[in-house]
Amino acid sequence: MDSHLKKYGQLIISLSGVVAVWWLVSGLGLVNQNLFPTPPQVLAAAVELYRDGVLISDLQISLKRAAIGFTIGATLGVLVGLLTARVFAVSLLLEPFLTLLRPIPAIALVPIAIVWFGIGEGSKYFVIAYTVFLAVWLNTHAGASSVASTYIRAARSLGANRFREFFEVVVPAAAPHIVVGLRLGAALAFLSLVAAELSGASSGIGFRLQDARQFIQTDRMFVGLIQLGILGALLDSVFVLISRRLVHWESA
Amino acid sequence: MMQAALNLVVEPHSMPRTELGRIDVEGAAVSFKGPKGKRIEALAPTDLVIEPGSFVSLIGPSGCGKSTLLNAVGGFVPLSEGTIRLDGEPVTGINPDVGVVFQQYALFPWFTALGNVMFALKRFRLSKEERRDRAMAALKEVGLEGREANYPGQLSGGMRQRVALARTFVTSPKVLLMDEPFGALDAQTRVVMHEILLRVWEAHKATVIFVTHDVDEALILSDRAHIMSAGPGRIIETMEITDDRPRRAHQVTESFLRNRNHIIGLLRQPGADDH
Ligand SMILES: Nc1ncnc2c1ncn2[C@@H]1O[C@H](COP(=O)(O)OP(=O)(O)OP(=O)(O)O)[C@@H](O)[C@H]1O
Ligand SMILES: [Mg+2]
Repeated sequence: MDSHLKKYGQLIISLSGVVAVWWLVSGLGLVNQNLFPTPPQVLAAAVELYRDGVLISDLQISLKRAAIGFTIGATLGVLVGLLTARVFAVSLLLEPFLTLLRPIPAIALVPIAIVWFGIGEGSKYFVIAYTVFLAVWLNTHAGASSVASTYIRAARSLGANRFREFFEVVVPAAAPHIVVGLRLGAALAFLSLVAAELSGASSGIGFRLQDARQFIQTDRMFVGLIQLGILGALLDSVFVLISRRLVHWESA
Repeated sequence: MMQAALNLVVEPHSMPRTELGRIDVEGAAVSFKGPKGKRIEALAPTDLVIEPGSFVSLIGPSGCGKSTLLNAVGGFVPLSEGTIRLDGEPVTGINPDVGVVFQQYALFPWFTALGNVMFALKRFRLSKEERRDRAMAALKEVGLEGREANYPGQLSGGMRQRVALARTFVTSPKVLLMDEPFGALDAQTRVVMHEILLRVWEAHKATVIFVTHDVDEALILSDRAHIMSAGPGRIIETMEITDDRPRRAHQVTESFLRNRNHIIGLLRQPGADDH
């Protein structure tokens, strides 16, 4: 309880500090207000977007894209990661290829995704899923290939077959790494979401940012940025909460 | 309090079977690939007969190959020479009839104490209730009644090793391999663990091979102590320990002292501890 209070207190102090400095810098006329809007201006822009109905709908659409892309990428990442770590033939086939994919950033895939999947939802899912997949695969692979040999020996000498060894020992032993990968993947889903929406979208937070640029509406851009920040931070806290339950033995 | 919790429950499936669990080590040697492809001999060719149902200790300087010999019996490492037989059958791999209590706690931290013990029972066709009942009985046997819902991270080191013991003994293995299982525990906890181990062993009558650095521990527990030389190790002497149990380090008999001095003398020999 006490630590909760402390945490929220810290959050409030830190945020009010940032807003105060922001207000001071933008309000004193030190910089051009068209380029660097004041907090009230940004608030007004947010209210306007809300009245137009796009604030909520953008949020919903972006969240949906991130969620679907994340689900696809995370599922594949966990499955492939477990296979490349524990099945020699699969690692032989896939690892070099995945190592080549790793340095390719999501944004570089946007043009080809649009050619393949059109400017509809498919290309967005693809770009997000790709980014999430790589992060989750890498962490799952690392976790599942470094399972302590005593666990494996213990499982076998206790008569576990390969199936039980995999599901009751390898998977839980790798779980802390997998959870780290999923958390990273969730953060990356947002990064690639914006990359995917910046071109070839007609809705979503990323689109709204790009749209605002054409009319130099910096106040609207700020709204989009703040939305992304809050959404990402909330999601991350939810992840931390869930993962603490999921791999409860890690902190004990 | 402790005594009451240690009431032994001898399951029908764990009838004493003194005729099973004989180990014949015949010229067994183990070598590992070292750096630059050189072969490092971890265990020099060793002959050893371990009688069914007996409790034997392996003592020797660090790096002499005690764990290696134990791992070879368990089928965890392949032999480079010779054979090891369990009741006449050559050991070719990991065998669930050979139970292991590891040096590091190898409990699964994602299962509760009960879950860990039940893990060992899953290979048998038992109903879930039966599995649960047997696992609970095994935990009771090691004095952990009421702790079944705890995760290993919530238990002390001694309690964890007791869960490990219960997990291994619950299936009544023919052979139990223990690699410095109490090395990380304080002296007091160790005394309690010795009592528990001997009680459980007497109830289940498995053949126990117990690796230790501690001469007193070997003398308190075992029927026989095999003393190994520095690596690549081989057995330099076998000592029968005939004192009646329970034996206590604080009430030493004359033969206990004689044995202790003799073993310490052997371990002190030049070349025996040059690591
Ligand atoms: N997997 C391995 N690969 C290479 N060398 C090994 C391996 N396992 C053991 N060795 C070597 O074999 C020798 C014997 O090791 P072992 O672990 O059996 O000794 P030990 O008697 O159990 O020592 P300690 O008392 O310190 O546990 C050592 O020189 C060790 O470095
Ligand atoms: Mg050792």
